[in-house]
Amino acid sequence: MTDLAAVEVRVNGQPQQLEVRGSETLIETLRERLGVTSVRGTCGIGICGTCTVLVDGKIVSGCLTLSAGLDGSEIVTSEGLVEDGRLSRVQQAFVDAGAYQCSFCIPGFVLAVHERLSRDARPSMEEMRHQLAGNLCRCGTYPEILDAVAALIGTADEEETT
Amino acid sequence: MIGADLRPTDAVERVVGTLPFVLDKKVEGMVHAAVVRSTFPHARIVDIDTEAALQVEGVLTVLTGADLAAESSIDPYFGGARKDQPILAIGKVRYVGDPVALVVAEDKGQAEEAASLVYCEYDELPFVESIEDAMVEGAPAVHDDYPDNACGWGKLRWGDVEQGFDEADLIAEGEYMTPAASHVPMEPFVTIAEWKGNKVEVWTAAQAPHSVRRTLASIFGLEQEDVRVQVLNLGGGYGAKGQTKIEPMAAVAARAVGRPVRLELTREGVFFTIGKHAARIRIKTGVKRDGSLVARLVDVAWNAGAYAVVSPRAVIQGMARAPGPYRIPNVWVDSRAYYTNTVPTGPFRGAMTTQVAWAYESQMDEIANQLGMDPLEVRRRNLLREGDLHPTGQPMHDVHFVELIEDAAAGIEWGDTSDVDLPPNKVRGKGLGVIMKSTVTPSRSEARIELRDDGSVVAYTSSVEMGQGAATTLLQILSHHLGIGTDSIRFVHPDTDVTPFDLTTSSSRTTFSMGAALEEASVELKHELTDLASSLLEASPADLVHEDGGISVVGQPGTRLEYLEILRRSKIEQLDAEGVFQSEGGLDPETGQGVHTIHWHQGAAGVEVEVDLDTGKVEILRCHGTSWAGRVVNPLRARQQNEGNVVWGTGLALFEELVFDEGQMVNPNLSEYLIPSILDMPRQITTREMESSEPDAELHGIGEMVIPALPPAVGNAVYAATGVRIVDLPITAERVLRGVMARRDQS
Repeated sequence: MTDLAAVEVRVNGQPQQLEVRGSETLIETLRERLGVTSVRGTCGIGICGTCTVLVDGKIVSGCLTLSAGLDGSEIVTSEGLVEDGRLSRVQQAFVDAGAYQCSFCIPGFVLAVHERLSRDARPSMEEMRHQLAGNLCRCGTYPEILDAVAALIGTADEEETT
Repeated sequence: MIGADLRPTDAVERVVGTLPFVLDKKVEGMVHAAVVRSTFPHARIVDIDTEAALQVEGVLTVLTGADLAAESSIDPYFGGARKDQPILAIGKVRYVGDPVALVVAEDKGQAEEAASLVYCEYDELPFVESIEDAMVEGAPAVHDDYPDNACGWGKLRWGDVEQGFDEADLIAEGEYMTPAASHVPMEPFVTIAEWKGNKVEVWTAAQAPHSVRRTLASIFGLEQEDVRVQVLNLGGGYGAKGQTKIEPMAAVAARAVGRPVRLELTREGVFFTIGKHAARIRIKTGVKRDGSLVARLVDVAWNAGAYAVVSPRAVIQGMARAPGPYRIPNVWVDSRAYYTNTVPTGPFRGAMTTQVAWAYESQMDEIANQLGMDPLEVRRRNLLREGDLHPTGQPMHDVHFVELIEDAAAGIEWGDTSDVDLPPNKVRGKGLGVIMKSTVTPSRSEARIELRDDGSVVAYTSSVEMGQGAATTLLQILSHHLGIGTDSIRFVHPDTDVTPFDLTTSSSRTTFSMGAALEEASVELKHELTDLASSLLEASPADLVHEDGGISVVGQPGTRLEYLEILRRSKIEQLDAEGVFQSEGGLDPETGQGVHTIHWHQGAAGVEVEVDLDTGKVEILRCHGTSWAGRVVNPLRARQQNEGNVVWGTGLALFEELVFDEGQMVNPNLSEYLIPSILDMPRQITTREMESSEPDAELHGIGEMVIPALPPAVGNAVYAATGVRIVDLPITAERVLRGVMARRDQS
């Protein structure tokens, strides 16, 4: 093992000092080193969105992101949206809408919705459909995912004013 | 509890991402395997050079088929219908992607690096890629034991088709093609195998844990009790994870290195493990002028790929489903599978039905067109009714095809032809499809339940939760039959050491079959409780009644004993009961006569499309999917099955296709093999899970009944819009545009 890089990151709020291989992807770091299982590899080429991660608030594919380049980054996964045991409002909306079947892809959808609503409280449904075009669900849970999104957009302006 | 909107107990874990999958499982001391795959479709293995791979740091061993063949204590071949598949290729490779070697290393990266350094020298052989290649006289044989590449033949003989055609006023005849496809479960195949002495334990993402156990026992010459198979939630299955897939590789690797071995396939590896049968369907139908069908001849050729898996059995299912849900007095079906040098195939959601339904439902509209009849009316006139005989000779019961097709039509406002303002290059049309699907028969499901003296119940079944909601549905069914709240009942994941036999979680059989086993176990448990209560209350069993987890003497509510009190006062810590569902059936191999299915699964779809005449692009504006449920156990999960069917069927209708060229799979990745995204789904999806008015109506599986109806419904809608009849799936823009241009040239 020659090419180890020291990186300091925060993962779901916890500071982590890691020595990662140059070729190590973010998904490997999260799953193998840190036991974060909501980030899942499916396609390996950045198409399907099951390994979606928020890095400094932006969506990345964990399979295409090298951990060595993430020094100083804030990394958030779906587990990190839970605060004091309470689901985030995006997560709660998914639970309420029954937006899950096999559920393998769902955390990626949660992060994609979360990211959009973090920078834009009132996107249109059409904008949200495009936001979610990079996440694939083979069970076809899209109708309930859109139900969850519709419920969130409906409540977004209330949240904004409080 | 049946009919309630019960949410799964693990809904939060599903959304947050902490739901356990085998993918997440770690076993102390485990090492990792990677697969070396053939790069040729058909070739003799001359030499496999493992030297460079063995030099890689962390590599423990490299196994080849020759190593396995030399090992007298194992049988290196397996297969659900024929033992024709080697764990690793022995002597020759039969498709691009055929496993030829297995590298085991301390970590996954080392195993993958070393796998790329295994050099195989091949002597190429002529190969067969398509059904047409495989069936010609003198074609290269994929397996020496099957020189004509035959991989199963189903024959259905009913009435006299020649006489039927003589009586017909009109003959419709056509050839329809459906391509290979890939299941694409988002969770890859993943297995951990560990030997403990002479016993092997396996964690695996599989739909049929008991089948895996039987296969591993056969390979290693073990008693079934010496093989333990455990399953967690599956990240999708859809048929891909049925039977036995990568478990033998993990198990031989673990035995070779004496440590637990984890094998997780790459996405390409998933594409190279199992696919869907491509099929060519020739169908000829005789029709009377009033629209009644009098004869149908169907010749189905299935591309089985390089190994049989279950094709010899699956062709029988495809055979029985090939005539469609219609009354036809004279039927002749030949349903034949052929080996080819392509990826092995198996059941694929809507199994062995999507292919034949594409043919018979497309042709139904052609018949309507030739007769000048409404496509809805010509179907209504011919659909099977209660008491009619299916061409297998089996009387139809609990059939609702007419209600389903009428519902599908109503869902898209079939009769409404009011004009919409459209640009001159856009046209719209509506189409229908209706299908029947059998469920695997004979089959067996066993369940065991334990009532504990704290009043809780633990249920043991080998049914697999893979997103379809089996865990919740079975919980509701057991709660209903026991009269005990769902909060007090817990189901365990399949573990062949503790959960009893179940054939498989597939074929849309679980709600009905395991539901029946749980019902029987509940009756048995209540019977045992009645006997105990009879002693405690000094009352005749006939005078005792069960209600909501307690027993009392009829008319004397004051005598009520809770179940847990009955156990405690009887000094029993735990009461066990078992239930078994067993269906019987089978068909005559020469005529296809007999009992094919315990009941028929039924579905229909109605779609409206908009076609762009400049580009050929088809957009599904709306789709109504409907299936016969009998009774709905869980409304949300039932609806999601049909919605998921619509999304899945959209992909098959418009773009999903595994492409082969010179024996190579061209698109084994999600960049080039497209599955439907949120932007691909129909703009409007509605569904109906149709129920009986009878309170005790039979439960019907609804996992895959809209899918087969959808591609022909889209094809029929495209025809209605453009006059172009597409006979090859998928209905790509290119095919539609070519059709539109050809029609322009004609006029």
